[in-house]
Amino acid sequence: MVSATVAVVNRRLLLTSSVFLVAGLFGASCSEDKPDLTIYSGRTDDLIGPLLKDFTEATGIKVEVKYGQSPDLALLIDEEAEAGKVSADLFISQSPGAMGYLEDRDRLQTMPASALDLVPVGVRDDDNHWVGLTGRQRVLVYNTNSIDASTLPTSVFGLTDAAWSGKIGVAPGNGSFQDFVTAMRVTEGEAETAAFLEGLAANDPVTYENNNAIVEAVARGEVEVGLVNHYYNYRRLVELPSSPTANHVFDEGDPGALLIITGVAAIEGSNGGDKAMELVKWLLGPQAQEYFANETFEYPLANGTSPSGEIPAIGFSDVGGIDFADLGAGVERTRQMITDAGLSG
Amino acid sequence: MHSWAGPRSWPRHVVVALTVALFLAPGLFVVWRALRLGASIGDTLGELRGPAWRSAQLAVLVSVTAALLGTLLAWLITCTDLPGRRIWSVVLVFPLALPSFVGTTGVLAGFTPGGVLASLWELFGATPPRRIRGLLPAWLLLSAFSYPFVLLPVAARLRTLRRAFDDSARMLGASSFEIFVRITLPQVRSAITGGTLIVALYMLSEFGAVQLLGFDTLTRVIYATRQVDRPTSFMAAAILFVSSIAVVTLVRSTQGQVATETSASSRAGEPVRLGRLTPVALIPCVVAVAVGVVAPLWSLITLAQRGVSDGRVALDGLTDPLINTGSMAVTSALITLAVVLPIAISGVRHRDITGRIGAIAVVAGFALPAIVIALAIAVLTLNTPLLDRLYQTLPLLVIAYVVHFGSQALGCVEQGVRSVSTSLLDSATLLEPSRWRRMLHIELPLMRHGLFAGGGLVMLAVIKELPATLLLAPIGFRTLSTEVWASFEEGFLADAAVASLALLLVSGALTWLLVLRESPSRGR
Repeated sequence: MVSATVAVVNRRLLLTSSVFLVAGLFGASCSEDKPDLTIYSGRTDDLIGPLLKDFTEATGIKVEVKYGQSPDLALLIDEEAEAGKVSADLFISQSPGAMGYLEDRDRLQTMPASALDLVPVGVRDDDNHWVGLTGRQRVLVYNTNSIDASTLPTSVFGLTDAAWSGKIGVAPGNGSFQDFVTAMRVTEGEAETAAFLEGLAANDPVTYENNNAIVEAVARGEVEVGLVNHYYNYRRLVELPSSPTANHVFDEGDPGALLIITGVAAIEGSNGGDKAMELVKWLLGPQAQEYFANETFEYPLANGTSPSGEIPAIGFSDVGGIDFADLGAGVERTRQMITDAGLSG
Repeated sequence: MHSWAGPRSWPRHVVVALTVALFLAPGLFVVWRALRLGASIGDTLGELRGPAWRSAQLAVLVSVTAALLGTLLAWLITCTDLPGRRIWSVVLVFPLALPSFVGTTGVLAGFTPGGVLASLWELFGATPPRRIRGLLPAWLLLSAFSYPFVLLPVAARLRTLRRAFDDSARMLGASSFEIFVRITLPQVRSAITGGTLIVALYMLSEFGAVQLLGFDTLTRVIYATRQVDRPTSFMAAAILFVSSIAVVTLVRSTQGQVATETSASSRAGEPVRLGRLTPVALIPCVVAVAVGVVAPLWSLITLAQRGVSDGRVALDGLTDPLINTGSMAVTSALITLAVVLPIAISGVRHRDITGRIGAIAVVAGFALPAIVIALAIAVLTLNTPLLDRLYQTLPLLVIAYVVHFGSQALGCVEQGVRSVSTSLLDSATLLEPSRWRRMLHIELPLMRHGLFAGGGLVMLAVIKELPATLLLAPIGFRTLSTEVWASFEEGFLADAAVASLALLLVSGALTWLLVLRESPSRGR
């Protein structure tokens, strides 16, 4: 009797699993034939997928995408190159840190002027290895129920005031915070930056893993303000229009108002060639840049484009002429300073 | 020597040795890398001491809590007349189906002003906690998410226990409680230890919940430094690997050997009557389900509803991920069982050094965070001739799942192996000379409770796995968990919630279809 039951069980198990196997193989074989371009994208499907579909429709160039977190993809690209098995043609990064890592290790090709010239000089690599796609501004998100906007500081240095003790959320381990600190080192100097970090740490900030978690915590009232990138709150307001959160932008030229660049680069040793550059140019073309502005609430970077109406316009001069290539390099030193100041992460 | 051990045991040793090599490879790679990058314990110790201590705290607290809760619940749903225990036995496994970051996000969202949990708090006249961070919430939430690791193997074991002793004891006047402590508990001890060990290792490699709750463990250090400070990252991973090997070895060596059954006649006894204690017995069930299932689910449904009703979310994009997820889960579960079974047999029946080392290697594969295992496997495949063809193919992804989740199956499979009595094996050897047919027709059927439970755990783990899937899957291969991640990452909450619900649906359907329907309570 036992074995009869088991025979039934085994049969059902076999049947179910073979159905899944066949379905899986079928699904795999149904996917498009050999693609022309392979992209490793730290920008998730929600932020670029529809665009790539349009690109293929418009140009006939087939693309395949590996999505992941920018640092992980950068590590993978590096290991692939190390083993002599480059598979990515293009790398789209969410953070200058990951891009800088690959640049430091000579994994990026030099880009042609035809692609580089589509954006202002300030938002592309000095050594012509990558070009910016979009910008994300550093802002202070605050809880509109507990904070009167007029009491917010005009400079990020104001957050070291004891009045903010226990009220600030930061993500010291996150790339965007590290980029901000690196930029501060460039514009304000090491001593000033170290003093800022110590002052911030003295105010017992609450640490989070990423920008999203900070915006959520501010909405919850767990902290009153948080240092984040601008677009997370716009995203949240789409999802939850009643969210008691708003962005506060620091004064022009303040290191707290840094524009962080998400960029694209071609991988050394890949052979995407002209097709890869065609995609880069398309991503800097009007349709894609408008998508970034209106759908993902980022700052478009291509010459002659402007952000969505809901977002305050900024000129690139606002970021204080920082050399963005410096953001990638020296991240290790930045992290050390953050840790030394007593901010974990 | 027992006749079923077979005269030639070298094939078994070879198989086990190969398996050990497979499971230890990522960990050894990590140690080697840490040394090559010049990471020194001295330099990083200052930075790693605090996180290491917090990892240890979390592992101990959560595993003990999960052991108590899981055992209690397993006993309630298998041995008592708890009302609705068939339903409980399905629902109580559910927390395993939720990726921990989804569950935690759900609970945190519940505490937003106006959220379901905040309202509940206010209902009792209390102010909802302002900060949900640190050890206490991490302990409570992760216990609620991980007790099924104990519940499943213990329930599988309880179902195959002989109840003859219970009946004799009852006739001699022992109370139900005495029977549980003095007769049942010793027999399920190895199942409890196995499950608890998994929980402890899971806590060492857990990332999703601890990062959301701001609890700074070794895993967080590994993540935060993985690109900007590689020596520290690899050193932290190496520490995890070495300490987990130590813990596993310690637990395994202090664990008394549990004899296999002496008789195969597992007869279901009368369920324990809870009587007036029924309401009390329902409390842990309700609490576990409320924290681990209802609270996260409530938030997810609220978010999904909002997105679907204003048309922001399209459902048709989920078909491919759904099929991919289901097929990977079932395939990986079957292959994991096949890989782990020889080790379980070696460990339980032969009890030789091969079996012991095998078991330790398999279990250690779970203590490293998936991102570390994935990167290690990527680098090892890329640099090994012939194997490099597997890079970014489904077989490699399955291998990664097997290495990372084999430990989850091992405990249950060992329970299965134990439930085949030695005397029965001896008779079977006389009657059926073919080893394979004996395995297929006699042993596997008898082991089925353990195999189903073990396979079920792997299935659920694969369904929600993310870092290895992102890194190692063929380019363009989408699963439900990659969909959930992509949307959560950028704050597309409605899309994330819809994908999470689809993921829960697959987990629930597969668990019910392949694991729980076979619970022998049907035969009663």
